[in-house]
Amino acid sequence: MDVDLRFFATFREAVGQKNITRAFDDGLTIGDLLAALESEFDGLEGELLDDTGDIRPQLSVLKNGREVLHIDGTATELDDGDTVSVFPPVAGG
Amino acid sequence: MSGLSLDPEQLDRYSRHIIMDEVGPEGQQRLLDSRILCLGAGGLGSPVIQYLAAAGVGTIGIADDDVVERSNLQRQVVHGESDIGRPKVDSAADFVAEQNPDVAVERHETRVTSENVEDLVAEYDVVVDGSDNFSTRYLVNDACTLAGVPFSHGAILKFEGQVTTFEAREESPCYRCIFPEAPPAGSVPSCAEAGVLGVLPGTVGCIQATEAVKLAMGYGETLDGRLVLYDAADMTFDTAEIRKNPNCPVCGENPDIGSVHDVEYTDTCAIGD
Repeated sequence: MDVDLRFFATFREAVGQKNITRAFDDGLTIGDLLAALESEFDGLEGELLDDTGDIRPQLSVLKNGREVLHIDGTATELDDGDTVSVFPPVAGG
Repeated sequence: MSGLSLDPEQLDRYSRHIIMDEVGPEGQQRLLDSRILCLGAGGLGSPVIQYLAAAGVGTIGIADDDVVERSNLQRQVVHGESDIGRPKVDSAADFVAEQNPDVAVERHETRVTSENVEDLVAEYDVVVDGSDNFSTRYLVNDACTLAGVPFSHGAILKFEGQVTTFEAREESPCYRCIFPEAPPAGSVPSCAEAGVLGVLPGTVGCIQATEAVKLAMGYGETLDGRLVLYDAADMTFDTAEIRKNPNCPVCGENPDIGSVHDVEYTDTCAIGD
């Protein structure tokens, strides 16, 4: 299945692109996805998941526009065609 | 509300507001009676101050401890060449005085800290956060959420902006519901470090001003529960649904933060930092 990925701010710079699509096996969860991204992109290593495998408190991950913390967190399941967005807070004014 | 008391000049100045059923003389009077605090008179604060003043917000508080620098002028449109070296609160106040004599400006030439934020926020109906660092943003979130004061959040970096409104109602999320802690120092750069497109704060600040005006008038729906991610590079607006986090340290079911004095607003702004 294909998952569309959108990166914002510093995560975009780490990936080098705003949008990418990746193919995964069925049954993928958000935790699996974030771990795969950390493996693929050097600039994301250690930036998405903490030592216990939870999403770090300094980023937000959306599945189809909904914060995954309000779905099933890292256990949130993904389907073909889903869009996952990853963004950090920014503070400039 | 102090009752309708629009004079002939005000009926003329605000005629495009008053002619709308959704605003009318009552809505304009509410604006004139309202008190809005702008935290920061920089990139975001500039358009916010401009449009709140033009709209006839009766009292605008401006909190900023910086002076105008030449590098500000690429985006901070209430300040001009002759203002370089002047306190931003003075330069912004002069702009407002020229734009609309109905508006009183309260100058707060101070850095917002945990020692003064509660008193400052308590004086206003709505807060607009246009500050430029994580420490102030978490401080403002905690103070406004605990005090029940609605606030507009806008933040920018390079070509991207994030903007939302936290109404501080029982069911409203807060900034810590999305980002419980600030990024470690140095991991997300500032505009001074990474740059910012000069027109970007104009767009984001205008959204913030729109939200503040609606809150003051009591009309429309705000971004409460929605975060807009704006990308000026490809002109896209993504909207993310945000909800109250039951585990939020400030507005959750068992909050750890009962006062701004519970947190050291340095580094990640977490409890115990």
